[in-house]
Amino acid sequence: MYTWLTLNSSADLAQLERVIGAEYSPKIVAQRLVDGLSNAVKAVMVEFNYIDKDYRSTYYNFYAKKGQHYRADCVRLHFFDALVTYDPKSLRLSCPDNRLEDHYFGYMVLRPTGIATIGRSILSADVRNGARGFIITARHKVHLLGYKLWIEGFPSMDQHVDIAVCAHAVCWSVLRHYSERYSVYSEHLTHDITMMAQEFNPGGLVPSRGLYDSDAERILQEAGTFPIRVARNLNQPDDPEFYRQLISYVESGFPLFAAMEKRGHAIAIIGHEWRKSRASGPQRLKYAWDQVDSLVVVDDNQLPYLTIPVSGGTEYSAQDIDVFIVPLPEKVFYPATAIDQLTPILFKLGKVIDLPKEEETIIRYFITTGASLRSFVRERESEFDPKLIQLIMSIPFAQFVWVVEFATEPEWAVGQISARAVIDATASYFEQWPFWLFHSRKKALVFNRKSVVLDSATGMGALVLADTGHTAFTRMDRNLRPIKGKQVP
Amino acid sequence: MDEEKNERIDLLENLEPVDPEEIADFQRAMEEVIPKIAQAVEERRNLAAESRRRGKY
Repeated sequence: MYTWLTLNSSADLAQLERVIGAEYSPKIVAQRLVDGLSNAVKAVMVEFNYIDKDYRSTYYNFYAKKGQHYRADCVRLHFFDALVTYDPKSLRLSCPDNRLEDHYFGYMVLRPTGIATIGRSILSADVRNGARGFIITARHKVHLLGYKLWIEGFPSMDQHVDIAVCAHAVCWSVLRHYSERYSVYSEHLTHDITMMAQEFNPGGLVPSRGLYDSDAERILQEAGTFPIRVARNLNQPDDPEFYRQLISYVESGFPLFAAMEKRGHAIAIIGHEWRKSRASGPQRLKYAWDQVDSLVVVDDNQLPYLTIPVSGGTEYSAQDIDVFIVPLPEKVFYPATAIDQLTPILFKLGKVIDLPKEEETIIRYFITTGASLRSFVRERESEFDPKLIQLIMSIPFAQFVWVVEFATEPEWAVGQISARAVIDATASYFEQWPFWLFHSRKKALVFNRKSVVLDSATGMGALVLADTGHTAFTRMDRNLRPIKGKQVP
Repeated sequence: MDEEKNERIDLLENLEPVDPEEIADFQRAMEEVIPKIAQAVEERRNLAAESRRRGKY
């Protein structure tokens, strides 16, 4: 049932060929792991006869109906660091600090399908060669040998080829992340997702001759999300607003379904890496997108957490993305397009609020919850005037808010900001005052949204803030986690 | 039920009023930008609609 492989070097992954049957394509899998995993992975536990719910969903509905015999069970590979040992007699895993979870890098299911055998996988980005930056993750529970382990990562799998294509695999990844991260979303297995793309059940085999991206919208909508589709303006070669929106949704913690029309390929965008050096160019208002060096994506042709550059590169880049679909929760009515148009106008309040000069500012906008904003402020109480904390805790925020942060370039470089506007994500874009709060270190404007008609004379108030001794506020980075690359010297 | 007791604390209580002169520029800019926002949202919706069923994956 279990085989333990110790790895002195990544080349030792070739042992998989010796212990795993040919129907799981161990040679191809081993090569993918050699190419993609860092040398911090020092042991692989091979778990045989594993019943995988996603493979079973395709087995019951497709493979079992074929004349050719397919196995019903899978193999699962678990990855560990050098400190974990295995006793085959007692089937016990051990490590010096008894914190097995801290030495676990996740798992990969292998399907007995001969081709495209890499199934449901949750791998730690920390052991992915070349992975850098910040990514959207969820904690996934793993049961192995009676141990309950947790792994933080983003789901991935290869497309089945015969019954599912890349677009299915992307939808599955995004929706599995949602069902693990947010209890409001239920779990959808691989076959469910294939069927959700169909207007009606065509019966028997549902072959995949490709999916239109509008079918992906349908899948995401069927799963209970409220997808918004954003297309690049192909008549405008450099459509910066498209990319500003893209990064704002990723920064909000929403993984994106992204389509590359010329390549006929779909990927999930789940993270980014900021530029190490400042963006060059003339002094002008800049945006978070101008500071992005690369995107982190899940591409079903490779191990997850592939880094793609903003432009250029050997495979493809952000410039190849033509359309993205963001699966939003229900109560986000104010679109990123509106925020993008609105934010430069906020500088008209520059003197009232004490904003940095427009041409010296980097703007970053993203969605969060009122609860998350409060929690962020609570964790950094010393940065805020107690009167401002009292206001933030008392404002009756809707569930979701847009946060717009203003930073000078030196502040950006150290993860700080000058000012923050909080905008009601449930506002209509026809509203004159869609704000909850706008504050810097010196002053705060608070808006009364208890009335549909806001009288500027009585519907807002100002608060002069006391000097807390801090020169800036901390940038609110709560939706993504940093990749802490692990390599053994 | 005493409705007064169920009222939220008035957020603006104890805050200074905002001088209308200070925000006049902003109000004018908002009046100008709202139609632009509506137009931008509409254009993005059109681009999204045109892109549907353009590519197969």
